[in-house]
Amino acid sequence: MKFQIEDVTVYFPYDHIYPEQYSYMIELKRALDAKGHCLLEMPTGTGKTIALLSLITSYSLSKPQSPIKLIYCTRTVHEMEKTLAELKLLHNYQIKHLGPQARILAIGLSSRKNLCVNPTVLAAENRDSVDAGCRKLTASWVRAMAAENPNVPTCQFFENYEKAASAAVLPPGVYTLQDLRAFGKEKGWCPYFLARHMVQFANVVVYSYQYLLDPKVAGIISKEMQKESVVVFDEAHNIDNVCIEALSVSVRRQTLEGATRNLNRISQEIDRFKATDASRLRSEYNRLVEGLALRGNLPITDTWLSNPALPDDILKEAVPGNIRRAEHFLHVLRRLVQYLRGRLETDNVEKESPVGFVASISSHAGIDQKTLKFCYDRLHSLMLTLEITDTDEFLHIQTICDFATLIGTYARGFSIIIEPFDERMPHIPDPVLQLSCHDASLAIKPVFDRFQSVVITSGTLSPIDLYPRLLNFHPVVSHSFTMSLTRDCICPMVLTRGSDQLPVSTKFDMRSDPGVVRNYGKLLLEMVSVVPDGIVCFFVSYSYMDGIINTWNDSGILKEIMQHKLVFIETQDVVETTLALDNYRRACDCGRGAVFFSVARGKVAEGIDFDRHYGRLVIMFGVPFQYTLSKILLARLEYLRDTFQIKEGDFLTFDALRQAAQCVGRVIRSKADYGMMIFADKRYSRHDKRSKLPSWILSHLRDANLNLSTDMALHIAREFLRKMAQPYDKTGGSDRKTLLSQEDLEKMGDGSVHEMLY
Amino acid sequence: MASGHVTKRAKYKTTIKDPGTPGTLRMTLEKILFVPHNPKSAGKLDVEFRFIKGQKHTKEGSSKPPWLNLTNNQNGSFIFEFENYSDLQDCRDFVGKVLAKSGEVSEKPTVTYPDEQLSAAEMELRIKLLREDSELQKLHKQFVLSGVLTEAEFWATRKKLLDREANKKTKQRLGFKSAMISDIKPSTDGRTNKVTFNLTPEIILQIFAEKPAVHRAFLTYVPNKMSERDFWTKYFRAEYLHSTKNSVAAAAEAAEDEELAVFLKQDDILASESRSKIRRVDPTLDMDADEGDDYTHLPDHGIFRDGSKEVTESENELYRRTLSQDINRHAAVVLEGRAVDVELEDTRSVAEALARSKQESSTKGESYGDTSRERLDRVSRMTEIEDLQAPNNLPLAPLCIKDPRDYFDSQQVNALRTSGDELAGTEQIKCSLSSQEVYGSLRESISVIKAMGLKDPIVKPEVAHQVFDALTQSISTTKYNIGKNPQESVLDRLPKKIKEELLHHWTSILELLRHFWASYPITTSYLYTKVNRLKDAMSHIYPQLEEIKGSVPSDLRHQVSLLIRPMHQALDAAIQHYEADMQKRSARSGERPNGYA
Repeated sequence: MKFQIEDVTVYFPYDHIYPEQYSYMIELKRALDAKGHCLLEMPTGTGKTIALLSLITSYSLSKPQSPIKLIYCTRTVHEMEKTLAELKLLHNYQIKHLGPQARILAIGLSSRKNLCVNPTVLAAENRDSVDAGCRKLTASWVRAMAAENPNVPTCQFFENYEKAASAAVLPPGVYTLQDLRAFGKEKGWCPYFLARHMVQFANVVVYSYQYLLDPKVAGIISKEMQKESVVVFDEAHNIDNVCIEALSVSVRRQTLEGATRNLNRISQEIDRFKATDASRLRSEYNRLVEGLALRGNLPITDTWLSNPALPDDILKEAVPGNIRRAEHFLHVLRRLVQYLRGRLETDNVEKESPVGFVASISSHAGIDQKTLKFCYDRLHSLMLTLEITDTDEFLHIQTICDFATLIGTYARGFSIIIEPFDERMPHIPDPVLQLSCHDASLAIKPVFDRFQSVVITSGTLSPIDLYPRLLNFHPVVSHSFTMSLTRDCICPMVLTRGSDQLPVSTKFDMRSDPGVVRNYGKLLLEMVSVVPDGIVCFFVSYSYMDGIINTWNDSGILKEIMQHKLVFIETQDVVETTLALDNYRRACDCGRGAVFFSVARGKVAEGIDFDRHYGRLVIMFGVPFQYTLSKILLARLEYLRDTFQIKEGDFLTFDALRQAAQCVGRVIRSKADYGMMIFADKRYSRHDKRSKLPSWILSHLRDANLNLSTDMALHIAREFLRKMAQPYDKTGGSDRKTLLSQEDLEKMGDGSVHEMLY
Repeated sequence: MASGHVTKRAKYKTTIKDPGTPGTLRMTLEKILFVPHNPKSAGKLDVEFRFIKGQKHTKEGSSKPPWLNLTNNQNGSFIFEFENYSDLQDCRDFVGKVLAKSGEVSEKPTVTYPDEQLSAAEMELRIKLLREDSELQKLHKQFVLSGVLTEAEFWATRKKLLDREANKKTKQRLGFKSAMISDIKPSTDGRTNKVTFNLTPEIILQIFAEKPAVHRAFLTYVPNKMSERDFWTKYFRAEYLHSTKNSVAAAAEAAEDEELAVFLKQDDILASESRSKIRRVDPTLDMDADEGDDYTHLPDHGIFRDGSKEVTESENELYRRTLSQDINRHAAVVLEGRAVDVELEDTRSVAEALARSKQESSTKGESYGDTSRERLDRVSRMTEIEDLQAPNNLPLAPLCIKDPRDYFDSQQVNALRTSGDELAGTEQIKCSLSSQEVYGSLRESISVIKAMGLKDPIVKPEVAHQVFDALTQSISTTKYNIGKNPQESVLDRLPKKIKEELLHHWTSILELLRHFWASYPITTSYLYTKVNRLKDAMSHIYPQLEEIKGSVPSDLRHQVSLLIRPMHQALDAAIQHYEADMQKRSARSGERPNGYA
């Protein structure tokens, strides 16, 4: 359908539209017009992504003189694929109605591991080895060598791509990673470098958060994005954590050992070069004297993860004299590693500010702050000079230099915490020195400054006023949408008691109580016999899940559950979890039915949808609080309290409830879908906890469902499922429309929209 | 029944206690003849087989001598004691055959059909069908026994019935049990510390399916390196070590015992399998791809030990196996279903069968090749929001002809006799058109149809109109006559006998018409005679219908005639067609004297 929002003709690829989507588009357009940032919360299952995509592309089409670029950030690769699939649908529709002028180029960008088509490189296990494998074949010096000596292997795909030079372009269209690979294979061009190259010209770029937020990655990939871009962070409820992670580094014993090995290897290399090609080291020295940390424009294949500090904070001056010579720099690094090793040998938890830490490095190891700051760039330059291609071997020394650069650059918003062992396993010594960032606004600041509009959106951004404070920005539009349902297709319940009327909770003092474990098991057992198709269970942590599954196994509850449905479990092994999920879906597809055990804050909770028959019921066992004794968490809470006046308890509850809401929110995909959500913990019935849930869940949580026992919940579930099985009117009757057709939209002027919706 | 008779020495006993009269037992297809050795003694027997209802016999290896007990339909019995069991078996088989034969013979005592070589099982099935369905039996009696249709013709249109019956016999394949193999609990004798495991082939198959490394180990070690018993002892020793969750102890034992280590180590076959499987998963849940994309997963980058992450013990990782892995693996195997379809007897055969089926599936997997297309389709299906647009495919059940024979059967019957006849009447037109010309003419005719519509619709509009008129009229008159009660139909108002008669005629007319129309165009002389037979049968029904009409009371006569009219019309149409065809044929036969007609 095609409709008008003020001066923009919006092309929407479906025959109908939800009123929420329509008003979402109106708000979004307002933000685009104002060239400002915005914050939009809209329930899952109301088609956020397609609404976003169709408004922004239509907006850009309606203003051909100043087209805006869309940078769409997703958290995971599979979300990227989904987004691109939706965009493909939209693009086909727009081409059908607008003709060739609607042609756009949209690409998804990922790492070499996901884009490479060279079978020899792809054989490597993880991303770092693939990166290194690629470098071995494509680094500029390798190719220079290959030009002289045909026995040196190179990558045929990259050579072809280089040969095609400026002719190597992607024709307009929407390219998923799969499409890129297929295109690359067909043409014989390297899809990774092609995509990297095309990022500058594409109208829509879809990639992961890190490509924009992590300065190490953003520095090489997102450098050249124009200001006239709209940046969208989808599913952004965890964006503060991503920001913090991007600037945090930890050093362990293994890191230091590895770094020492790396340094030895570097020193051998230096000796070798001195003997064979001393001029190279000399020219590097001269370049550094001239003040160039890096050799101007590197070939695209030589680029590395860039400086871990944010672009504005990187000094544009010459590398200090004391580390210009390779040997001197090596000595500095050795002293630093030695110092860090000394600091790790501690029996107590130590917490320090970066300023104090830098001061003590300076006094003990004789390395000043400015030298520290240049560590990363200097290492980078040295490794290029030494022509090191197996970069995956050198990750440890990179980590040390990252760490040095970060503490040399930032004085506030960070703290250094040294722990001799993990709090939860005091018997295993595992000292770790962590530089942790507390201020999420640091990493995202360049994004807000650089781009004209940044859209932060998710199904759970409640309380919506907290995010501007955490991220330190001023949205021009900040709105939380409710959901107009045709029928009550979601059924949230709070279960506080088991069938024996004893309270259930994962509170620390209760969680190992056998009665609670048994009651949780009984709850699931009753539900598997009533609910068709898929059921998803979320636990508060892996260790809790493991414990509870073992207990259920011993007591025979698991066996009884297996009589009804197949059981699949998320593990920390990603491959296994992916296969388990795939099998879970197949079990739901074929009608066998299955239960999936997962962990809140785990990878599955983050991005896998359990819509339609893949999830008719979600059970959230307990409240997913963070481990509150964690030193890092405590430091962060302290920082939040001092800087933003956010109370510790409030933040913890907010964080736990957004995770819970995120977990249960994955059951709904559209208004035709339906699902139940059980919050199984007595603490959910308390108002201060519950009120942190997003409004679209709260509005369906009836008072009668706030304090249920297992048998009552079972009764409600039966009723609900029976009700949902009935046919219904999709448009939602006459007075409150939940599905709008083109005529409906034309009929109501701009004024009456809001009256209809709210 | 290669030989039509069996002759054995036996003793004839009137009762079990009776010592018996020695003599010769001779059985032919028709009768049982017993002649005592001593011609003076009584006990000469001459019984026709049709009086024999069943037989019983003693089992070999039981304490009883080889007795055969034939019961007749007056509940009497004849007991024969044979000299040995092989004699008994011969006689038993013979009696069984004859009894089975007599069953079918009683159904159709007419001629046998040389063109049909039916197995006894097939015959039995037909008989069973007839017995179960009285209507079918009636039709069978009416047409087959009267010779209007042959047996083969009659059944050819009902192959589906026969097939379904046959299908029923193949038993449903059982999947794996939903219980885990770790649930195999040993039994203890209570005195010593010894435990005993009971392994059935079923359990072993499940173990092999879930643990390919154990499977491989079995194939390599047993029986060359160790006995099967030792193998399983080792296996359960390893399982015990797992259950103690003491990975240090497991590692220590594994270091000492090479074979035990096989069970304790992570399954490398599973690992490689999962690597190949991961390439085929739905991209919308491929979390492995994230790992490859996510730069926060650089070692030591990001927050290492905050409250949200978990720690794992990395020591002795090699010997750790979690319950979760077992559960996932178990569920995956159950979902995959059982590939092995052999009688489970001994472990060796189980292991080999599984290996074979795996090899098959792996070659199949390779031929899968590029599944990317399917993966993409799945993604786009997943992304669409279903209720925002009209459903793009109407809720139609796709046409699925499982067995095309069902469809072509009616034609096949007619082709039955073609083999002998030459294809008369049809001339082979030699076609030598280029594809260009064909395409041109096809396009032309399509454009003509586009412009003018179909000239020759299946039903002429006038005819359709007429039928509709008649229908509405008859419906409205009936409505008028019987009132508005929807439960009541015209048929219910008729006397029971007439109703049944009408219904029977209706089904028999349908049967005849089906065969009649299926016989056209007449290409063989076989069809020609068949059509003639059918026509005669149809003309017989004609007066019968009239008779019914006349027999009903006058107040119902109108209703009955309304019911009979369509039958008449259908018969008329068939007979008309027949006559028109005959005329054409006779006109042509003048030109072609050597035609078959």
